Amino acid sequence: MSTEHDAIRLESLAKSYGKVTALDGVDLEVGVGELVTLVGPSGSGKSTILRLIAGLERPDDGRILVNGQDVGNLPPHRRAVAMVFQDYALYPHLTVRGNLLFGLRVRRVRRGEAEQRAQQAAERLGITDLLDRYPDQMSGGQRQRVALARALLREPRVYLFDEPMASLDAPLRFATRADLLALHRELGTATIYVTHDQAEAMTLGDRVAVLHAGQVRQVGRPQEVYDRPADTFVAGFLGSPPMNLVPGGGVLGGTADLTLGVRPEDLALDPDGPLEATVEAVEALGSEAIMLTRCADGTRLAVRTGPRPESRPGDRVRLRPDPSRIHRFDADSGRRR
Amino acid sequence: MKTGRARRPLTAWAFLAPYTVAVVLLIALPALLNVGYAFTDHTGLTRDPQFVGLANVRRLLSDGFLLDSLRASLFHVALAVPVRLLAAVGLGLLLAAPRPGGRLFRVAVYLPTVIPDVALAVLFLWVLNPLYGPLNQLLGLFGHPGYTWLADPTTARIGVVLMLAFPIGEGFIVVLAARRLLDGRLYEAAALEGCGPFGQLRRLTLPLLAPVLVLLAVRDTILTLQVNFVPAYVLTDGRPANATLYLPVYIFDQVFEFSGFAYGSLITIMLMAVTAVIIVLQLLLVRRWRVLR
Repeated sequence: MSTEHDAIRLESLAKSYGKVTALDGVDLEVGVGELVTLVGPSGSGKSTILRLIAGLERPDDGRILVNGQDVGNLPPHRRAVAMVFQDYALYPHLTVRGNLLFGLRVRRVRRGEAEQRAQQAAERLGITDLLDRYPDQMSGGQRQRVALARALLREPRVYLFDEPMASLDAPLRFATRADLLALHRELGTATIYVTHDQAEAMTLGDRVAVLHAGQVRQVGRPQEVYDRPADTFVAGFLGSPPMNLVPGGGVLGGTADLTLGVRPEDLALDPDGPLEATVEAVEALGSEAIMLTRCADGTRLAVRTGPRPESRPGDRVRLRPDPSRIHRFDADSGRRR
Repeated sequence: MKTGRARRPLTAWAFLAPYTVAVVLLIALPALLNVGYAFTDHTGLTRDPQFVGLANVRRLLSDGFLLDSLRASLFHVALAVPVRLLAAVGLGLLLAAPRPGGRLFRVAVYLPTVIPDVALAVLFLWVLNPLYGPLNQLLGLFGHPGYTWLADPTTARIGVVLMLAFPIGEGFIVVLAARRLLDGRLYEAAALEGCGPFGQLRRLTLPLLAPVLVLLAVRDTILTLQVNFVPAYVLTDGRPANATLYLPVYIFDQVFEFSGFAYGSLITIMLMAVTAVIIVLQLLLVRRWRVLR
C-alpha cells in the first residue's frame, strides 16, 4: 500500500489534554492519491489527529511526516496541508471572493494573479455566481463548496476533512459524497477524511481506519475491515445493526475463552435451522427488515431479512448461521483469533 | 385567539409604562422645557421668565468665553476618545484569552471604573503634582524636568485626558465579551493560510469587531463630551486660561454661578448639536471606509 515515501506518515503519535488521553500511540500511513477515512465514536481522537497534522496543536510524542519530511517543527502554513473544517470556518465579514483571496493575499500573491486563481477555483466548484455573497447568505452545501475552493487554492500535498458533511441533510450528503470523490480522483492528492458516519467512511475511503479511545483499532479496505474485523469493538462499530456478539459456549457454540460474532445478514430464517428464538420486534426498513429475536438463554440476535417478513412479534422462528461467516474473538482481549 | 392577540400589546405597554413615565417626566419633558427656557430671560431664581426672542442667541454668537469652551471641548474629545478606545480595545483583546493571572489583570483594568469620579480626580491631583507627584518623578527617571501639569493650558488638558483614560471598564468589558464570541476556528483557518498574529488582528479581529468598535466610539463621544465635568472641576476649575472650561463646566457656571439659566439652556442645546455633528462625521467616515458590511 505504501509507496517509497507516503504522503503522510504518523509514527506513534500521542497527545493528552491534562488527564484525558486523546491519542495513545497512533501509526498511520496515507499514500499519494489515497483517501483514508478515520471513523470512530466521538472522543476517539479523530479530530485530534487532523489538528496535529495541520499543526494547530503539537503532539506530546511521536512524529508526523508529510512527503517524507518531518513537519513537527513547522508552523501550520508551511506544512503543505489544507483543512476543511466541520462548520467550514468561512470568514463571515468577507464575500466568497474575499474568502478565496484571503490566503493568497496573506501569501502576497499579486492581485491580478490572485483574482485569476480564485476565479479558476470558483469555476472548478461551480460557485462563480456566489462570488459576491456573504457566508450567511448561502446554504450549507454552497458554503461547503466555498470551503473546498479555499482549500484548493492552498495547492496542498494533503487534504484534511473534519466531518465536512455533518451539517448537510441526507440527500445533499449523498450527492456531495460523489462530487467529493470525483474531485479527489481528479486532484490525486492524499486525503484524510474524518467522519463518525460509518456509511460515509465505507463509501468514500480507499481505506478505513477505525479509532477507539485514542488508538487505531484497524486499518484496511472497507470491505476487508467489514468482513474481518480485528476486534470486538470494530465488529460492533461497523455495520448497522452491528454484529451479534455472543459469549463462547452460548448459542453459537465455541469455548468459554471466546466471543463469537455473526452479522445479521449471515443469519438466515430456516425451518430446519439449529437455533430457536422468539421474535421480539420487526423493524421494516422498506427494502429490507431487521428482526430482533431472543433465544431461550436470553441471547439477543438481530437478523436481516428481505422486505415484508411473515413473522410477527411473539412468533417462534428457527435460524441458521452461515458457518463460514462466524467470527471468533478472544474473550479477554477482544482480538480476532 | 382574538382576545389573546388583543391583550398582548396591552401587556407589553403595561410593562413598559413605568419606564415610559420616568423617561417622559425626567428626560423628555425637561428637555422640551430646556428648549423653551433658551428663549427667555429665566435666571433660575424667579418665577416668571419672559420671552426674549433671539437675545440669548445673539449673546452666544459674540461670547468669547464660549469659544474658549468649545475649543477646550473639541480638543478633549479629539484626544480622549481615541485614547480611551485604544486602551479599552487594546486591553480587552490582550486579556480576552485565558492566561495565568488574567483574572487579576481584568479586575485591575475594571477597578478605576468603580471608583467615584471625585475620588479619582483627587488621586490625580496627587499624580499630577509637579513637586512630589509620581508622574513627574517618572519623567525625572528619564532626565526630563517634568511639567507644571495643571498650571499650563496644554498639559492641563492632557492631564484631564490622562485621568479619563483609566475609567474605561464598560468599553473594556464589551470588547472582551465580543472578542470571546468570535469563532476560534476562523483563527485556525487563518493560521493555516499563513496569517500571523498581526495579520489576524488586522484581517480578522478588527473587521469582525467593527460594529462593536463603531458603537463604542459613538458612545464614548457622547460620554466624553460630558464626563469631563468632574475632573475639570476638581483638578482645574476650568483654568488655566479657560483651557479646561469644557462645555459642561461652562453650562454649570452660567446656570448655577451666574444665574443665567436661560443662557445655560441654550448652550446645552449647542452641546447636543456639537455631539450630533461629531457622531454624524464618524458615521460618514465609517461608511466611506466601508468599516461595516
